[in-house]
Order: sequence, then structure tokens, then C-alpha cells
Amino acid sequence: MNSGPMLFLGLFATMACSWTGFILAPQLQLGDLTQTNTVVVGDALSQTYPVAVPGVAHAGAEVFRANGCAACHTQMVRPSDLGSDLQRGWGKRRSLAEDYLFEQPVMLGSQRVGPDLANFGRLMDTNNNNEIYKRFFDPRSITPGSVMPPYRYLFETRKIGPFPSTNAFVPPEKYAPPAGYEIVPRPEARTLAAYLLSLHQDAYLYEAPPPESLWPKKTNAVPTNAAPAAAKPAPK
Amino acid sequence: MNPDEPKKSVNQSVSEPVAESWTIPMWMIILFALLIYGGALFMAENAGGFAKDVYNPYRSPEDVAAANPQDPDAIRRAEGRKVFAGTCAACHQDSGLGQEGKAPPLVGSEWVLAEGGNRIAHVVLNGLSGPITVKGKEWNLAMVPWRDNFSDEQIAAVLTYVRSSWGNNAGPISPDLVKTARADKHPGAMSSEELLKMPVQ
Amino acid sequence: MSAMVTPAPITSPAPPPSQTCGAEAARPAAMLALLTGAVSWLLVALLFGLIDSIKFHAPTFLAGESYLSYGRVHAAQNVAFLYGFGVPAALGLGLWFLCRLGRTTLAGPLVVLIGVTVWNCAVALGVAAILCGHGTGFDSFEMPLWCARILLLAYLLIGVCALLTFHQRAPGPLYPTQWFVVGSLFWFPWVFSTAALVLLGVPQRGVLQALSGWWCAQNMDAVFLGFAGLAAAYYFIPKLLGRPLHSHYLAGLAFWTIALFAGCGGIPNGAPLPSWIVSLALVGTVLTVMPILAVAMNFYQTANREFKALDSDPVLRFIFVGLLFWIIASAQQIVGALPTVSAITDFTWFGAAQKELFRYGFFTLTVFGSIYYMAPRLLGLEHSVWHPKMLKLHFFLTFLGALISYVALLVAGLEQGILLANTANTFPDVMRRTMFPLRMGTLGDLLVTAGTVVFLINFAGVLNQARTQCCPTRKEVG
Repeated sequence: MNSGPMLFLGLFATMACSWTGFILAPQLQLGDLTQTNTVVVGDALSQTYPVAVPGVAHAGAEVFRANGCAACHTQMVRPSDLGSDLQRGWGKRRSLAEDYLFEQPVMLGSQRVGPDLANFGRLMDTNNNNEIYKRFFDPRSITPGSVMPPYRYLFETRKIGPFPSTNAFVPPEKYAPPAGYEIVPRPEARTLAAYLLSLHQDAYLYEAPPPESLWPKKTNAVPTNAAPAAAKPAPK
Repeated sequence: MNPDEPKKSVNQSVSEPVAESWTIPMWMIILFALLIYGGALFMAENAGGFAKDVYNPYRSPEDVAAANPQDPDAIRRAEGRKVFAGTCAACHQDSGLGQEGKAPPLVGSEWVLAEGGNRIAHVVLNGLSGPITVKGKEWNLAMVPWRDNFSDEQIAAVLTYVRSSWGNNAGPISPDLVKTARADKHPGAMSSEELLKMPVQ
Repeated sequence: MSAMVTPAPITSPAPPPSQTCGAEAARPAAMLALLTGAVSWLLVALLFGLIDSIKFHAPTFLAGESYLSYGRVHAAQNVAFLYGFGVPAALGLGLWFLCRLGRTTLAGPLVVLIGVTVWNCAVALGVAAILCGHGTGFDSFEMPLWCARILLLAYLLIGVCALLTFHQRAPGPLYPTQWFVVGSLFWFPWVFSTAALVLLGVPQRGVLQALSGWWCAQNMDAVFLGFAGLAAAYYFIPKLLGRPLHSHYLAGLAFWTIALFAGCGGIPNGAPLPSWIVSLALVGTVLTVMPILAVAMNFYQTANREFKALDSDPVLRFIFVGLLFWIIASAQQIVGALPTVSAITDFTWFGAAQKELFRYGFFTLTVFGSIYYMAPRLLGLEHSVWHPKMLKLHFFLTFLGALISYVALLVAGLEQGILLANTANTFPDVMRRTMFPLRMGTLGDLLVTAGTVVFLINFAGVLNQARTQCCPTRKEVG
């Protein structure tokens, strides 16, 4: 091919194919995704999903982004035939497009130097923020040999004022502050903790329904039995 | 020099590279074609019809629908439709309107729309003979019994279908009701008088 | 059938110094500025990479300040490599190929110089912003929006000049290198502006951000860098072997199949997307076996078993080994995309290994080889002006470093994946067991960094020689 314009035309066409397939078509199909209803499990009622996260969690997402946490942590659970995520208990079901509807930015990550975080809020069996702060302050105190770096700059050691701070963090023994001082998590740490606790993808949806064992019990429809029907006598 | 060797480009200075024009080997072209074909087959199998609610490991929208908790009435209706189309429509017509000399209509029929379905359950199980008034019109034909051809579930299904199609809007019929009606061992076909004597349940 | 062909003499005699000094110097200066800046940023990227690598075995290393935390350094490394080194190197090489093959001179050299300056400033500001916590979180597009806008503007300045240079070429058929150069010039603004729009500017809703991010990142690596590096391979291998390229049809097949299919990869099979998107990506990735075959066959026939010549010419050594790395990295992308393999290897060091080999193995080696050839000619010097021992050391360090790094990460990734597939192994356990290969990876990074330092010293010497020729100090004159 020896002509400049033909070369450009060809490049345009191939780029357009790729662009249409992966940018335009998905945008057309998924661009207007809205909240959906969960699939009922047992006696529960159907609910709207996902629910918007509180503003604190949004601020925490900014901290997550600024510190590049997505470089080591993913936020997506793979289906059972494409990975051992579900067997590991990292989620009740695979992740779906709906799960990220209100996330901005969406940081799915691409590498797991650390475990997946998609259901961190559900797997953390405590709302005790101190445990989460410990993970930021000294990851090795929670997980020996962890490669996660300590994020001590998210905390501040300061003199105790008239009253000790209600937010004060109780660090592992060896990091106890000197007398008269307390370690307080900065807003970044607090919002980041709120963000992580907001991460859960446990509601079953149409695209990833619950297993049959969890379906609501089948009811045999019983015909209603109100007023007797008017029966016309047959003419003889 | 091989006389088949393609002509080189002309007037290229020695220092800049030139390209010869050997053709692409046939096997490469065939491989390319096979790969594209295989890719198309793969997409047909695994693209879920390009639907937006089909995610791995499901293969099609039907798979996803089947994997979701099923509405038992919807299942019954679908099953009943199959039975009706295969058996009942021959006389009662697909439209449920019936036909002169063949079968009375089911659309808007007060027998079908009765609160309880035990009467029509008996009709389907045992057949019907003798005169019967349907929607103000008298019909005198013979309907064969279907007790030995269909199970309780199937009969419940077709009754549910009939009661909820073509504008009919009566409640579903459970297989238990058909079972009770079947236990009522009635010899021979039903007659209109016998039916009217039965309380609606 | 062919007779033994000794490699043709490397090039026509270098132009006399007067042609490359003074006002005329703007032309070579523009390309030199691109290349020098590129290699400097490569060193920066390598240093960031080294810091990150060390943090794996010593997580408290430089963890005190937020500026050097792993996530930020990782993002900064990405931007420094792609936009500090990758794009300018691709442009520098591309402009030179267009001039040479079009038998013309660079159009608008001063505009290019301005563009390069603006570009480098923008990259520096972007990297600083990332280290200060303003990174966007999108792989390969971590720079803030204002930085992306400046980069696009600078690129336009350079790109327009490149187009003009292409336009004013001498009449005659196009050689494959020209397609690849024009392809890369075309691809970058489209991909980058798409990313700037749908990720940074008016972000798409929900998971579409991730999809677009993956697509754009893949296009930046496999297509843009791929085009740029292969352009050099198509130019130098036939030229330095003194043989014609075997088939321009095969080159055409490679070109168009890369354009069509190479951008499809990089989307994990388990991504939260409808199955059609993931399946489409898989099909496209598998089809990239075609360009690999086309390229391999073309160069195999071109070299026609004269691989001995590869050892005689240092430039050829770089380019050819780079090409081999491209083949391996591209093949690995295909293997890693297959569902049964990806179930094990996704999100492990396996993907990082592939990226490492592609960037630091294929692209870096190819650029270095090209610079060894181009720089003397741009400076108006004799081609044998490089310090031969340093050149050899540089090749040895870079090749060995890239290889060690790659194998280490590959082993770590496979180990991690296989161990994780067994749910009896806890995640921390698995990470502990991959520590040793990761340490080897750090060693590899160290070697590549050392090699780049050696190159820069060598390059400084060459620049000095050019300066003495051009504007000798009184002491040097006599």
C-alpha cells in the first residue's frame, strides 16, 4: 500500500472497528445502567441495588485513588469457572456491572499483590474501626510477613488536649505513643476506612442469581374461594 | 537468479532497505481464515447473544432466566400452553373460541371462569357428554376423558393456562385440586346436571 | 539459492560537520532532544521501578512520606515510562525514519523543539502531581486532566510536523516502516484523547470506566509501542543485513492484524462485564497470533539463516533481541488470555512479567539499538564514535536484566497463581512463597538501571565529541 490517504483510511477503519467494539458499543449498552432490584432470597423483600454510598465513603475513594491502592488490590470477584475467588470466600457471587454504578472512579485494579477488596465491608466482621486502622498503621501486626507498606502518614501523633480524642487510635504495643500523646487518624484514614467498609457486593441480582437452595419456597397457587360462581341451569 | 523471483522495487538507494514481494504463504492465509471462523463460532457460543444481562458462566438469556428463582405460576402457564396446543386446540382452537360442531368456546366461558376449578377439572378428567349451556348457547357434543393421558400437574397446567389466556383472568389451579378430582372415581363422562350439582371449589 | 552476502557497508559517509552546526542544527537537534529526553526519563522510570521493587522485600523502605508510597511511585513509574520515554522515543525514531525513507528533511524543526520542551515539562509536572497524590487511578493514564491536555497539545505540535514530513516525501512506494510510523502517529492521539475524555474528562458511568481504561492501556502498549518498535525492526534488520525485506505483503498482514486485533487484549476474563465483551476480547487476542507469525516468518526469511551477522553489528544485536522479546511477550499475551490459563494467572505477576518484557525487553532494547545508529548520524559524526566496551556492557546489562526480571516475575506469577488456585493456601502464605523470585526481579531491575547509566555516560561522551567538532573550546583547538 503506497498511498498516504489510503493508509490513513485503513488506519481509521481499523481503529474505528476496535473503538466501536470496546468503547462505543459497551457505552450504548451499559451507559444508561440504573439501579435494579435484587433477587429475593428466602423471606427477604426485593430491594433496590446498589444504594448510594455515604459521602464519607466517597471521600475515602479519593484517598484510595490518591495513594494508588489499586496498584496492589483488585475489586472484582471472578465467577467460579474463571478463578478460585468464590471458593476463597471473597464474595457470595461474581461481580457485575451494577456493582460499580455509583463508584467514581472505578478502580478495579489489575493485580493482586494483596487480597481482593470487593467485599471488604462484608468480610470485616467488625465495625470497629480500630482494626482497620491497625491495617493501615502496621499491616504486619495483622498479617505477619505482609508486603503491604505501613501508611503511618495517615495518622498524627499529637499531644492530648483537655480531653483525649474520641477518635484516638490504639496502636499495637510497640508503637504506643509517649505519655501525654495520642495517635489520631487523620481525615484521610477515617474516610478511607469508611470507604473500605462500604465495599460489599452481596445482593443477588438477575445476572448472578442465588443457587437453587436459596430460592424462596414454591407455593402451590390455591384458587381463591370467595362467592360461589353463578351457575346457569342448563335448559332441558 | 530464479526467474520466478518477483521484481524488486526500482530506484531505491542501496543504503535504505527495500522490500521484496514474496506472497503470503497459503497455509498462513488458511490459518487466518480458520481462526476467524473459529472466532465466529466461539462468539456464537459464548457471547450470550450480545445481551447485557448474560455474564459468564451463563451462555444465553434463557440460561440466566432459568437460573433465576422461577415463578411457579409462570411455569405452569408455559407447560399448560404446550399441552393445550398439542391436544385441546384441535377442537377448542388455538384461539380458545371453539368451533361449531367441535367444541364450545373457553374464552369468557363461565365454567372456565368459576372461582374454583373443580368442575372443569372433572370435565377434563372424565369427559363431557350431553347438552350444556355455555355463554347462553347450548352445545351438545362429546368430549373424551383425559384422565389416563395426563398427570395432575399437566392438567393443572392446562387449566391454569386456559383460565389466564385470551382475556380470561381467573386464578391458577393447583395439582392438588386435580388430584382430589381424580380420586372422585366417576364412571363415564360428566353431564351438565352432575356438574351443576357439584359445589364450586 | 542465495549466495553468502556480507552485510553491506553501514551507511553513506556522515555529512561534514558544518552541515549540522549552527542554523542547520535545528533539524537534528529536534530529534536528539526527543531521544535524549526519552532516555533520561527512562532512567527516572527505572529508578521508580527499583524503589517499588525493593519495597516488596522491605515494605518499610521509604514508607515514611506519602510522596514515595508504593502506589504513587508505581503510577509515577508508569507515566514516566510511557510518556517520558515511550512516546518521545517513538516520535524521535519515527521522525528519523520518515526523513530517511522519504529522502527529505524534518519539517518545522523549531515547532518540534517547542513541542518537545512543552511535552517534557508536562510530564515532569504530571509525575510530580502523581507523587503529591493527584493521580487519577487509571492504569497508564494516571496524570491529571490538565496535564493530559498539555500533553495532547504538545503532541499536536510534533505530530503535525511529522505529518508534513511524511507528506513531503520523495515519490515512490512506501516501505513498511513508514506504515508503522504513520500508524503509531495516528494511534496515539486517538487513544489518548479517548482516555482523556471518557476517563478523566467526562467519566463514563460505572464499570465502563474500567473497560475503557483497559482498552486504552492495551492500545498504548501493544499497538502504539508495538508499531513504533516494529518500525525500527523493519528498518534496521534488512538494512544492516544488507538484504531486502522478504515480503512487504507479510509486513502488510502484520500491520493490519496488529491494528485490528492487538488492541483487544488486556481485559481479564473474569471482569464484571457481559460475556460478549470478554469473549470479543479473547477472540481478538487469539487472532494476534497472525502478526506474530507474519513478523517471525518475514524476518526469518530475510535473515535467511545469516544469524552470525547479528553478532557482528551491535545495533543489530539490540534490534534482533528486542524483536525476539516482542514475539515472546506477544505470545504470552495470547496464552494468558485463554480461560483455563487466565483462571490461574490473572492478577498475578504473570501479567506484570509480560508487560515488563514488552516494555523493558522489546521496546527499550529496540530504542537503544536505534539510538546507537541514529545519534552519530544526527550529530554528524562517524558511526564508530561509541565506546565499544561500554556498548557491549550496556547490551549485556540490559539484556540480562530484562531477561532475569522477566523470568523472575514469570516464575513468581505462575507460582502465585497455582498456589492461589488451591484454597487451602492463604493469601499471605502465597505472597511469602513468591518472595524469592521477586528479589531476583529486583536484581534484574538493578541491572537494567545500571545499563542505562552506562549508556548515558557513553552518550555524554558522544555528545561531547560532537561539541568539540562543532564548537571547540580554545583549549581543544590548540
